[in-house]
Amino acid sequence: MKEILTPRYERNYKTISVEDQKKLADSTIAIVGCGGLGGTMAEEFARLGAGRLILVDGDTIDETNLNRQLFSTEYNIGAKKVEAARQRLQAVNSSVKLTLIDDWFNQDNAADIFSGANLVCDALDSIQRRIDLEESCHRLNKPLVYAGIAGWFGMLGVSLPGDYSVLKVFKDGKENDRGVEKTWGNPAFTPWVMSSLAVAEAIKIIVGREPALRNSWLQADLLYMEFETFEISK
Amino acid sequence: MEVNVKLFATLRDGRFKEEKANINENTQISDVISKYNIPREEVKICLINGRDADLNQILKNGDTLSLFPPVGGG
Repeated sequence: MKEILTPRYERNYKTISVEDQKKLADSTIAIVGCGGLGGTMAEEFARLGAGRLILVDGDTIDETNLNRQLFSTEYNIGAKKVEAARQRLQAVNSSVKLTLIDDWFNQDNAADIFSGANLVCDALDSIQRRIDLEESCHRLNKPLVYAGIAGWFGMLGVSLPGDYSVLKVFKDGKENDRGVEKTWGNPAFTPWVMSSLAVAEAIKIIVGREPALRNSWLQADLLYMEFETFEISK
Repeated sequence: MEVNVKLFATLRDGRFKEEKANINENTQISDVISKYNIPREEVKICLINGRDADLNQILKNGDTLSLFPPVGGG
């Protein structure tokens, strides 16, 4: 309790009550992918006071990450992404426990990786692995928040066990595993906006509020500044 | 007959956000996608009047067709 009642969180109390802060401190949140979306998600969960973060990414930082990825700097090119994450997050909030998985998620390692997780965040960049991740979350009974980005554009939603919203939105990744991001890239503002929106949905699930984007997805257009929600057919 | 076509995200590039389209009877969604020279792999979600629809679904007068590309980056 003394870790919660600190000046760090006191300005959040109207939004995130002391009781909710306790739920956050008791929570374990898994983030799959520590790139553009995952890096910003992890930073926000650390600042919000999540108890433990499980970070999953087998990649290393390279120069092309510098345009958007929070953990990448000119000083850590070549470092493992999860190690760069550890350095940053320890400096941000040393009370957050970190479980670093320097590996790629797959359906076979999911049960081990997500052991103890209350929530999983999809910050992947492969459509097929997004679909596989949802299948694993369904099997392991974990709520999932997913976000995807390309250029000026993003999408975001929540999939609870049995919903299969990711499958309904992305349908199939076997023919085209990557979307229009392969030509449009991901400039900094898009992952930062979408990961913040994802964290807002995730926090509601952690504290026991209704997420806004179950059985629907948010389509975000930062070029025209349009945010529109569409229902997903059941 | 006339349908309302709405494009989202990258599909708007060089095209439009929303347009009334004059089409013949028995026009399928895939015909509309071809009409606007949209590569098939750039359409991930099709909605007719807000409901999920297949590419071979036939449009009716007054329908609103919404098309979305795959946005899968992280």
